[in-house]
Amino acid sequence: MKRLLFALALTLSASPASAADKLTVMLDWFINPDHGPLYVALERGEFEKRGLEVELIPPADPNDPPKLVAAGRADLAISYQPQLHLQVAAGLPLMRIGTLVATPLSSLVVLADSPIKSISDLKGRKVGFSVGGFEDALLGAMLDKHGLTLDDVELINVNFSLSPSLMSGQVDAVIGAYRNFELNQMDLEGRPGRAFYLEEEGVPAYDELIVVAKRENASDPRISAFIDALEAATQYMINHPDAAWELFIKGRKDLDDELNRRAWRDTIPRFALRPAALDSGRYQAFAEFLKGRGMIETVPPVESYAVEVR
Amino acid sequence: MSAIAKPLIVFLGLLCLWQGAVTVFEIAPFILPGPLAVIEVAIARADTLAEHAGTTLVEILLGLAFGTLLGCASALMMAYFRQARSWLLPVLVVSQAIPVFALAPVLVLWFGYGIAPKIAMATLIIYFPVTAAFYDGLRRTEPGWIDLAQTMGASKAAILRQIRIPAALPAFASGLRVAAAVAPIGAVVGEWVGSSAGLGYYMLLMNGRVQTAAMFAALFVLAIMAVAIYFAIDATLRRLVAWQPEADPAAFS
Repeated sequence: MKRLLFALALTLSASPASAADKLTVMLDWFINPDHGPLYVALERGEFEKRGLEVELIPPADPNDPPKLVAAGRADLAISYQPQLHLQVAAGLPLMRIGTLVATPLSSLVVLADSPIKSISDLKGRKVGFSVGGFEDALLGAMLDKHGLTLDDVELINVNFSLSPSLMSGQVDAVIGAYRNFELNQMDLEGRPGRAFYLEEEGVPAYDELIVVAKRENASDPRISAFIDALEAATQYMINHPDAAWELFIKGRKDLDDELNRRAWRDTIPRFALRPAALDSGRYQAFAEFLKGRGMIETVPPVESYAVEVR
Repeated sequence: MSAIAKPLIVFLGLLCLWQGAVTVFEIAPFILPGPLAVIEVAIARADTLAEHAGTTLVEILLGLAFGTLLGCASALMMAYFRQARSWLLPVLVVSQAIPVFALAPVLVLWFGYGIAPKIAMATLIIYFPVTAAFYDGLRRTEPGWIDLAQTMGASKAAILRQIRIPAALPAFASGLRVAAAVAPIGAVVGEWVGSSAGLGYYMLLMNGRVQTAAMFAALFVLAIMAVAIYFAIDATLRRLVAWQPEADPAAFS
């Protein structure tokens, strides 16, 4: 119901957005430090300078934004590279036009005092995940490397309760917890966690957060202006992390807490310094990885779903 | 025309309209797949769907059983003991006022990710209609019948058993019909917030993979299951209160 109302509200608000300089951007999740460059760009007037009027909208469900973009209900969406491959395979007319976070953030997290010392200790354990559609592929690859298969573990959808389910002992591990966010959250709750990094355990490295547009709009001049503003904001954040933090919480006092402060510090080195840059080889390799795991049937040419905007 | 043929024709007509709209307006399959695509997926994945449907069915039936038992017990207590009424009535109203969606994540943390939180959720959602309807029925016994029984020296328990409960059965049946229709919601809400099997889990997973047709197939199976449960309960109830005359409102107009 909430989602329906949300889609309705969006339809009402976004349909007249065809004015030349207005840009609606759907976030992937509620506002958090991963969105730093977007808010710093907003507060520093980087968008305005380039003639853009950008509206940032957090979604009701993290799986919705790319679909809303594909359906023409929003101009851009923050999404995940693994999901882009699945969505393109499902026929969504999407194009990656920029990168926000250029390394994986997702990780497999256990409690710090857990007997799980290696991935191979997961045999017979419960692993929680928040449905994105590709978690079983990532976990499968990690288990593979240690001689296990997905049948050796029980996968449980815990929806938004990644850290609560782990801290309360309902599951033995969670996959999809962000190293910059959930680890800090658990630490602050007094149940510190320990992370296994996907890219060290058999999953090819990928871009955690990307910006996608509808394919036919990829050459829209507003998009290159948007990416340009993103780059300027990222540079500012790297050079002035504390001043950037003040901009991030400006007028959003609810974000000013210890968790976000720590996550801010841990997220800064993860942002793409060249948001426009595209590593085609990496996208090709990840698509082949997903094909090998049976998630997609064919490996489409990279240029059909990812571009460097000029 | 038979009673089954009519709704079937309406249903098929709606399906044709749907397929027509999808074909004519060229709606992208990730927004709305046509019924033909959905049926195709449903047939191709019948095994998987059956497995998940089985899990959900068990949750719904157990939720119905617990909710009905709990509801009957509460209604009887409220009707029989004046004290219980003032204690239970607020609980009853609160049980309905709380959105189960808000409570679901906590129930999951308490009961784990097994079948228990789904049954709890289904129980919670049907507790109110059953209790409220049965309690109302128990309160509204024809006073003349009770007077007559009292004159003839019947005990309080005998009046309850022989007169008040049978007289309340039609009202109870209405409550149970509502419960049967909403019980699947409770089970699916439970699966939505945490599960490793069931139609709700499957729908979420397919939504994540943008396999909208598979998601609709699960939705179809859920709807068919809900309708089957409703009519099974409806038929049982009709037999139970066979003495209750049924007036057809249309006959008076």
